[in-house]
Amino acid sequence: MSSSLTSIYDNIAYALQLHGKAITKLQEQASSGNRVNRASDSPSDAYRIIGLNSQDRSLASYLGRVTELMDSMEMSSSLLSDMASDLADARTVVTQIVGGIYDAEGQKQVANRLNNTLEQLVSLANTKEGNQYLFGGTDTDAAPYRVVREGGKITQVIYEGSHEARSINVAPGLEVETFHVGDDIFRSDDRGDPVFLGETGAKAGTGTSNVRGDVWLTVDHDGTNYRLSIDDGATFVTVPAGGQTNQAVTDSRTGRVLYVDTTGINSTGVEMVRVPGTYDIFGTLISLRDALINERGVPRSELLDFIDRGAAAIEEVRNLVVQTNTSTGSKIAFLNTLKNHLEDTQFNVTDETTRLQQADVAQIAIDLSRREILYQMSLSVAGKLLSTSLLDFVQ
Amino acid sequence: MNDFGIALSGLRAAQTALDIVGNNVANAATEGYHRQRVELSALDSVPIGNVEIGAGVSVSGVTRLIDGLLEAEIRRQQSAHEQTSQELSILTSVESSLGEFTDTDGLNATLDAFFKALQNLAAHPQERVWQNEAISTAQTLAGEFRRLGTLMMGLEEQLLLEAKNTAASINSLVTQIAELNNKIQSIEISGQHANNLRDQRDSLIMSLSKLADTETVERPYGVVDVSIGRLPVVTGSMTMSLEAGLQSDGSLSVYVEGDEVATINVQAGRMGGLLALKNELLAGFESDLDALAKAIVSQVNQYHVQGLGQDGSFQQLIGWAMNGTDLSTTATPVTDGSFFLRLTNTTTGLVERHAIDVNVSAATPDTLDTIAAKIDAIDGVSASVVSSQLQITADLGYTFDFLPAVLSEPTTMNLTAGSPPTVAVSGLYNDSDNQTFTFRAVGGGSVGNGLLRLDVTDADGNIVTAVNIGAGYAAGDTLELDNGIKITLSLGQVNDGDSFEIEAFATADTSGLLAAAGMNVFFSGSGALDMEVCSEIANSPGRIATSLGRDLTDNMAALNMAGVQDEAVESLDGMTPSQYFHRIVADLGMEVSLKQSRQDNIEAMIQNLEQHRSEISAVNVNDEAALLLIYEKMFQAVAKYMSSIQTTMTTMMDLI
Repeated sequence: MSSSLTSIYDNIAYALQLHGKAITKLQEQASSGNRVNRASDSPSDAYRIIGLNSQDRSLASYLGRVTELMDSMEMSSSLLSDMASDLADARTVVTQIVGGIYDAEGQKQVANRLNNTLEQLVSLANTKEGNQYLFGGTDTDAAPYRVVREGGKITQVIYEGSHEARSINVAPGLEVETFHVGDDIFRSDDRGDPVFLGETGAKAGTGTSNVRGDVWLTVDHDGTNYRLSIDDGATFVTVPAGGQTNQAVTDSRTGRVLYVDTTGINSTGVEMVRVPGTYDIFGTLISLRDALINERGVPRSELLDFIDRGAAAIEEVRNLVVQTNTSTGSKIAFLNTLKNHLEDTQFNVTDETTRLQQADVAQIAIDLSRREILYQMSLSVAGKLLSTSLLDFVQ
Repeated sequence: MNDFGIALSGLRAAQTALDIVGNNVANAATEGYHRQRVELSALDSVPIGNVEIGAGVSVSGVTRLIDGLLEAEIRRQQSAHEQTSQELSILTSVESSLGEFTDTDGLNATLDAFFKALQNLAAHPQERVWQNEAISTAQTLAGEFRRLGTLMMGLEEQLLLEAKNTAASINSLVTQIAELNNKIQSIEISGQHANNLRDQRDSLIMSLSKLADTETVERPYGVVDVSIGRLPVVTGSMTMSLEAGLQSDGSLSVYVEGDEVATINVQAGRMGGLLALKNELLAGFESDLDALAKAIVSQVNQYHVQGLGQDGSFQQLIGWAMNGTDLSTTATPVTDGSFFLRLTNTTTGLVERHAIDVNVSAATPDTLDTIAAKIDAIDGVSASVVSSQLQITADLGYTFDFLPAVLSEPTTMNLTAGSPPTVAVSGLYNDSDNQTFTFRAVGGGSVGNGLLRLDVTDADGNIVTAVNIGAGYAAGDTLELDNGIKITLSLGQVNDGDSFEIEAFATADTSGLLAAAGMNVFFSGSGALDMEVCSEIANSPGRIATSLGRDLTDNMAALNMAGVQDEAVESLDGMTPSQYFHRIVADLGMEVSLKQSRQDNIEAMIQNLEQHRSEISAVNVNDEAALLLIYEKMFQAVAKYMSSIQTTMTTMMDLI
């Protein structure tokens, strides 16, 4: 091995550079706490880490949406519980009327109570969470229900929200519907045959009527023929002699039609026609309230029969709300499970990222110490080589 | 008597040897110096009487201790080291600029933030705060791409400048080498040794090899010819100058000065590194980055063009400036197909849909002008091309858009009964192909009565489903098909065979023209350098197309745009945008890591080679000190000998 000045210098420089670079790298790892501070430190690990970082952010994003969705679902569930409770109270008082607890004045009080329940339900159905209405489907920007009033009292509650549900991504490849479509959950869609409650002899026709809820059928006689109306006499349809098995009677206000078998009509009068499976919570309460006020002068026996069936109608719509609440509860439970799964996944992702990226501090300390010793030794050896030469001994 | 001659020769030889030793010691730390050794040889003997007596010593030469092959290998490794160092330096700075694995958000985090904002927008499509967040993150993303694009452009300019400077340095060194060739030749042709000049020249050649890969050929009288990339740049005392510049295809090359065609294949040295960076390494990275930006722009835009935001339909749309009106040269490809313009009469509420065919493969292909003419032919809108920009303007009382939503009524009706029902269409079509569905009545009668149904077939005549509209169906109730389309029939009469058609659109543009022309797009730009959020969107967050449905309350368009994050894109080698960027980072990291390893290996190799060279050519002070003692003693001895001769001569003279 040559001990020329040049070779000594080159060796010193090389050793110092080598150990210096290693020390710098160890210092960087120590100060950042990371083994991988750039992709070139370990390309394969860097590829994995950068993917895990993306996955972590994605999971955080999903968790945020799941949490927000759960909040709105829980709010919806709470509202639905309130609605179910209000409807249960309404059913109780209606049942009490049938049981004869209330006199005429009491009935009026019950009518007011039903009216208040109606107002309350409309208010609940128009609830916002954050800036979004909960029961308007995709149309979360506007109140889904609009009321029509006469004399200050609600006569109609019209759904003006969307009929589509909004889906959002809550996990990779998983979409969940968010806000309820009010028209789907507050209105029954299991149409049955109309039930005629009066004594006029009218029966359901063979066609499928499209009236909903309760309809008041007026049967009168013009001296020649019977006439039928379901819009409180605004329009009439004449029953031909002998009647028809499937006569259409149209409500001029809504365009909806009731098919009536008029062959058995034998008297005039006003009778309630119920269409089971078509009730909505608002229409039911409106009908019951109006029935209790009884501006049509329906005979008491018919009225009680109607009110009795009205209790069943309330139960029907209450069940709708309860079912929706149950399914909402299931959805919340599912989301909770999903949230736990996402959190577990996120934990694993973070754990693996840490394992890949984080530096072993103890090892760094050992390596740093070793390098420092080597660095000092290089300097020491160089000093010894440079300090002694033949010239020192030549006289 | 040859006594004094012998003494004189000894004194001269010792003196010369001491000079050589002194020169070696003086140059012990001189970079590139090769130690020299005096060659002494005994003079021919002279017969004196019966014996042959030596005539002394002469300096037969001064040898420069050098291993040519070793020097050549060191030059080769230095060349490789410089190239690797150059490449590593630039690639490391590019890696740092990506900002990954640092506390600041790199492109990866920015990309994730953008798609997260789109997901949030899909959850709150009508809220301003989320619209603003989507725009803000999009602008940040575009800004990040532009930053990297600008960085790459700056690096390219820097590389070109450095290449030019390096070529100038090469030319300067080449000139100096040629001059030294001349001097060395003139000295050695006379029989002398020009060792120091050779050292100077070898040092220059070493410097030259760091700039480019060199080959040398020894010629007589110490002349060395030098080639770079097999092109002779030094031939004796003649030189050839080089130049660096950009070719017509944008590549960086080195060529003979004044002749761009005569390019040289420089494969090592700093110049080799600069060429590799500009033409391969950085070009590849830049191409990948541009591909990623372009894919994000086109994928997001393809969903955005068809949607609408809260602000609703358009009074006017102006596309971006295109490269002329030829549709075959658009940055986003345009193919044969159609796009559908939906026109709304704001007074009557009537909505019509008009198809505009696009044909780019015909003998006379469509141009932007012909497309404008087709649109202009529609009553209610006018269209033109101004400064290569397609402009569509709705007439007074009209608005337009490209929503794929089903129209509120069937497109064609063939209901022959006296009082047919009204058919209302709604819903969100969720299938993947555009279709025309025919609803044909089977049986006749009144809606809601008897046996009456509608058979639904697609454009190929395949039965999709059958829906009951007789007994059991309440007129006015909604019938929903599996593909999301909903119909409602009012009361009325239907004859057997009556039919109506509904057009359902998965996409309102099968040609790609809307995105190519910049109509209702979210992003503009064709690559990293010019990617931007369209100003119309940035200035009006309500313009972000979140909905595909008629009532503009759904979030389908926003969901589709957010879904781009997980879409495999053909132009990205079948990867999602995030995966593609991860690969870019990892590939760059791998390149840097390999270069670093290579540099370390070459440095170790150079270290070994230089150690070996030191053993041959470097000055060992101890060795020289020993020689100094020897030659000093020799000089003293010879001087003593001369003194003895003088004494003997004096004694002889005294005897006489």
